[in-house]
Amino acid sequence: MSVKNQQHTQRSKEFSFDGFIGFVDRILIGQLKMLASIARMVIGKAAPALTRPITTTSSVLSSHIFVHRDTPQNNPDIPFDFSGENLKRVDAILAMFPEEHKKAAIIPLLDLAQRQHGWLPISAMHKVAEIVDSPRMRVYEVATFYTMFNRQPMGKHHIQVCTTTPCMLCGAEGVREHIKTKLGIKVGETTPDKMFTLSEVECLGACVNAPMIQVDDDFYEDLSLKDVDEILDAFKAGKRPKPGPRNGRTCSEPLTGLTSLTEEPKGPGFGLQAGL
Amino acid sequence: MIRPRGRMLNTVCSVAHHHFNPSSSLVLPTTTTRSLSLGQPLLQAAKQPPAVVPDNRVELFIDDKRVLCEPGTTVLQAAAMVGVEIPRFCYHDRLSIAGNCRMCLVEVEKSVKPVASCAMPVMKGMRVKTNSVATRKAREGVMEFLLMNHPLDCPICDQAGECDLQDQSMMFGNDRSRFTDIKFEGKRAVEDKNIGPLVKTIMTRCIHCTRCIRFASEVAGVDDLGTTGRGGDMQVGTYVEKLFASELSGNVIDLCPVGALTSKPYAFTARPWEIRKCETVDVMDALGSNIVVNTRGGEVMRVLPRPNEDVNEEWISDKTRFAYDGLKRQRLTLPMLKNAQGVLEPVDWEAALTGIAAKVSRVEGREIAALVGGLCDVESLVVLKDLLNRLGCETLCTEEAFPMNAAGTDVRSNYLLNTKITGVEEADLVILIGTNIRFEAPVLNARIRKAYLHNNLRVAVVGKKTDLHYEYDHVGDTIQALEQLANGEHKLSKDLAKAKKPMIIVGSSSLQDADGAAILANAIVLADKLKSGSSSGSSDHDWKVLNVLHRHAGQVGALDVGYTPGAGKIKELKPRVLYMLGADAGVVTRKDLAADAFVIYQGHHGDAGAEIADAVLPGAAYTEKSATYVNTEGRAQRANVAVTPPGMAREDWKILRALSEFIPGASLPYEKLEDVRHRMADIAPHLLRYGAVEEANYFKQSHALVHGSKRPSHSGRALAPPQTVLEDFYMTDSISRASRTMAKCIQAARHHKTTKYSVS
Amino acid sequence: MSSLASASGLAPRVAGTMIRREVTPLLSSSKREVRLRVLNLYRSWYRQIPHILMDYDVPVDQDKCRAKLKEIFMANRDVKDIRAIDMLVAKGQMELRETIEVWKQKTHFMAFFRDSVQVKKTDFMSKFLDQ
Repeated sequence: MSVKNQQHTQRSKEFSFDGFIGFVDRILIGQLKMLASIARMVIGKAAPALTRPITTTSSVLSSHIFVHRDTPQNNPDIPFDFSGENLKRVDAILAMFPEEHKKAAIIPLLDLAQRQHGWLPISAMHKVAEIVDSPRMRVYEVATFYTMFNRQPMGKHHIQVCTTTPCMLCGAEGVREHIKTKLGIKVGETTPDKMFTLSEVECLGACVNAPMIQVDDDFYEDLSLKDVDEILDAFKAGKRPKPGPRNGRTCSEPLTGLTSLTEEPKGPGFGLQAGL
Repeated sequence: MIRPRGRMLNTVCSVAHHHFNPSSSLVLPTTTTRSLSLGQPLLQAAKQPPAVVPDNRVELFIDDKRVLCEPGTTVLQAAAMVGVEIPRFCYHDRLSIAGNCRMCLVEVEKSVKPVASCAMPVMKGMRVKTNSVATRKAREGVMEFLLMNHPLDCPICDQAGECDLQDQSMMFGNDRSRFTDIKFEGKRAVEDKNIGPLVKTIMTRCIHCTRCIRFASEVAGVDDLGTTGRGGDMQVGTYVEKLFASELSGNVIDLCPVGALTSKPYAFTARPWEIRKCETVDVMDALGSNIVVNTRGGEVMRVLPRPNEDVNEEWISDKTRFAYDGLKRQRLTLPMLKNAQGVLEPVDWEAALTGIAAKVSRVEGREIAALVGGLCDVESLVVLKDLLNRLGCETLCTEEAFPMNAAGTDVRSNYLLNTKITGVEEADLVILIGTNIRFEAPVLNARIRKAYLHNNLRVAVVGKKTDLHYEYDHVGDTIQALEQLANGEHKLSKDLAKAKKPMIIVGSSSLQDADGAAILANAIVLADKLKSGSSSGSSDHDWKVLNVLHRHAGQVGALDVGYTPGAGKIKELKPRVLYMLGADAGVVTRKDLAADAFVIYQGHHGDAGAEIADAVLPGAAYTEKSATYVNTEGRAQRANVAVTPPGMAREDWKILRALSEFIPGASLPYEKLEDVRHRMADIAPHLLRYGAVEEANYFKQSHALVHGSKRPSHSGRALAPPQTVLEDFYMTDSISRASRTMAKCIQAARHHKTTKYSVS
Repeated sequence: MSSLASASGLAPRVAGTMIRREVTPLLSSSKREVRLRVLNLYRSWYRQIPHILMDYDVPVDQDKCRAKLKEIFMANRDVKDIRAIDMLVAKGQMELRETIEVWKQKTHFMAFFRDSVQVKKTDFMSKFLDQ
């Protein structure tokens, strides 16, 4: 018991020291850590080995903020209304839900608003709240929950680079860096000509065709850096390159041709006893 | 008492003989058991005598104690029935179930995973273990997660000492944490929100129980709070910066289990363990909400609600909660008399009383009049009446008027909220006439909203359209509309007549001028019509339809002891001496009195009344005296002494008693408060039956008088309650007018109207 | 309930059994004895008064002291409990000892006369005006 206690006090000493470092400028951390380890050696002659290895991942928070602040581009004074064509779509969407469950239309309507406007300004949320007859807060909640609603101004094209494991293993990070240097922006930024917004996203479900990017609604898969250049240049030129794999595949079949299920499927009666 | 006799015998016998037998500890579920809050049975449970129904109750075992409960009860509620308290953060009796804090996890036998007991309905034969190893481990785990992102700022947190998180981490948490910040990133931090001058937010402390959100949307009816973001980014707030514009906003402070929402005016002023608590009642409106006044060193530090199922459940309005700083400002602390220059000058009690007595004894009794305000307690009203009656004065009036045609205030059922506040939960129709009930009785309005949500209560409004936080049928703005409704000619008449248990609530604010008589008469006709319609149905015959909602805490008490409503008689009389007891509404001015009139003001605030007075006597406010108040239902309640009156101020009945000593032949026999109370019991015994409602039921007789006479004429004006928007709510009496917090609220409410986010 | 209880064989409890309480005496066992103790104490004080006045320089004379002595004794005239009287006698003896041994000082002695104590009036008006 006493031994255990000692260990605890030892450990708590270390941690409090670490906690102290937490207040200090991050640049100094490296040096201080060294100092800390020296200090530890001085404090406890035989620094006890950690009984439990601590591995933590730093928590990654979203790059967006989840409160609204009025800006010249985004404030409730800027009017928003659905275009005539979209108003018909609004009616069609509303028609899908019973009158008392109008609120179910919040997501499709927000999506429609985002498609019309390019991103989702607060006025659009207000408009949707008005249409579905719900408190504005309920719409804000939905709009902030889903990451695909962009509540900040976006470029004309939204480039989403998938960097989840399979894509990462296939070089997604290279793709990301390439785009960054090519466009001269960082992740989350928009080019000065308001052409592209770059974001890094989690798995978009095209792992078989990794690495991939999504531009607006289209997937561009099996990318090499050259492909990326071509795609971006095409968009810059106002064209829309053909979506899909860039390495000759039509979809997610093996590049080297089929490796299984190569023969014709057996007909009916296959493997049955002759007597049957 | 409600179950078959055989079972009862059984139960009694088993309890008597087999103490050792676990089955004898059968727990009889009380009829007040709340079932799931979203269901409809929530409201009616309390009153209705259940007929003999087949017993479909579910049997389960909580820590090996047998419980029988209605299907739909949750495990947590079932546990509460056998006295097993399960820790919780997000669960709250009066809110819907969220099930997101996970603190109430319990082990259920044969269930693979621990179960969130607040959201799990009972099932037959369940064996719940609330103190097993697995349960404790689950709780410790939840606690550890909650504390991982909760700041360790208890020393500077206002909630410390009364914090659920603190208490429960001591009770159910582990004594150490595995949270190691080896990357020095710090804990999650969330920016604070500015939601107004009452509620202070420190959102980093929030544990996302969503009680405030549920309160705002379910009880307060203001859908302004919500969660934004997701995962680690989730935060509770308003998304846009806006005022939490509700007259019940302060209740989220009590609901918040941690220090995320605290009181702004109370911030950093006192600690819970330094505070003395005094249970008393509120006088800011006529409901008489039950409150606990927290004091420290003779100073009121804050006001909290006290649960009372019959009156305020556990909510109080913001005025009740935050106007207490008005008790420290503008107070009258010294007796004052006007000197030769006509300037009020502080004098001692003896001089003041002698001076007043000299003036009073110089005039004849019938030239004296008394005017009492809305905050007067019954004790002082009785003593004032006794004193002036001895002098031969019969003109004792209240500032608040009430129509005196037909039976007027002679019949008590004419001026009470007869169906009682709880009646709202049984009613199926409420017709509000000339009242903005949201501001005149916010807590009652919350109950109407509750019935509206859970009980399909239908509401109709005669009067100006205002936002009441629920939908209603608008009958019309004017008295004509009411008349049409009373005559059955309105287009809604047929529809409304179908109600089985209708309630009519007439706001006393609409009865203040000459049209009051017409409004009340029409309301009575309408009430009788609805009553006869409903009693032909299956409803009970004792159901009372007509209700009057008063605005002032002292009004019903004053009427009960025989004061005349309205200052009309004073204006006719032009008295030479006017005794104003807390009369601050300014209904009587110098012009209504004789030219040489001597005005005495007795009260606690330097307000409209003291302004026109020749003599000022400092009295005690509601927190400073033991006093009786009768609420709008006719329920006598006792206010207790939380602090002593400031300076030379005295309890009001004592001042009057002392004054009587100086007036020859008027000396009153009261030595102690008990003597006054005995006198009150002589006048009206119900005044001492604290907590109980003395019902009145002379509808037939009084209504006969209305039907017998011609209906009074009226100007046909619109029924516009004086309080229509939020900023009107905060200052309505001398206490709240002196309150700085209330002033800030008005400012914030005004500003809120100009912002772009004022719509919710 | 009661019928149930009797049916189950539980005889109803008969209340009101006389209980005799006895207490051990402090000193005296009878009224006579305690009376003697009181008189004894009174006599001792009475005889000591001249000597006390010689020891203390106080502005009172023998008559005043004797009157005060009688007053203090008479203040407890209604005490009937033997044990209580015993206790009062014991306290009186202590006071006496303290006085004649000059363990007290002048002010302590004068405290018997309570001439600096103001009696608060208890009637309503005085309370109201003095509060």
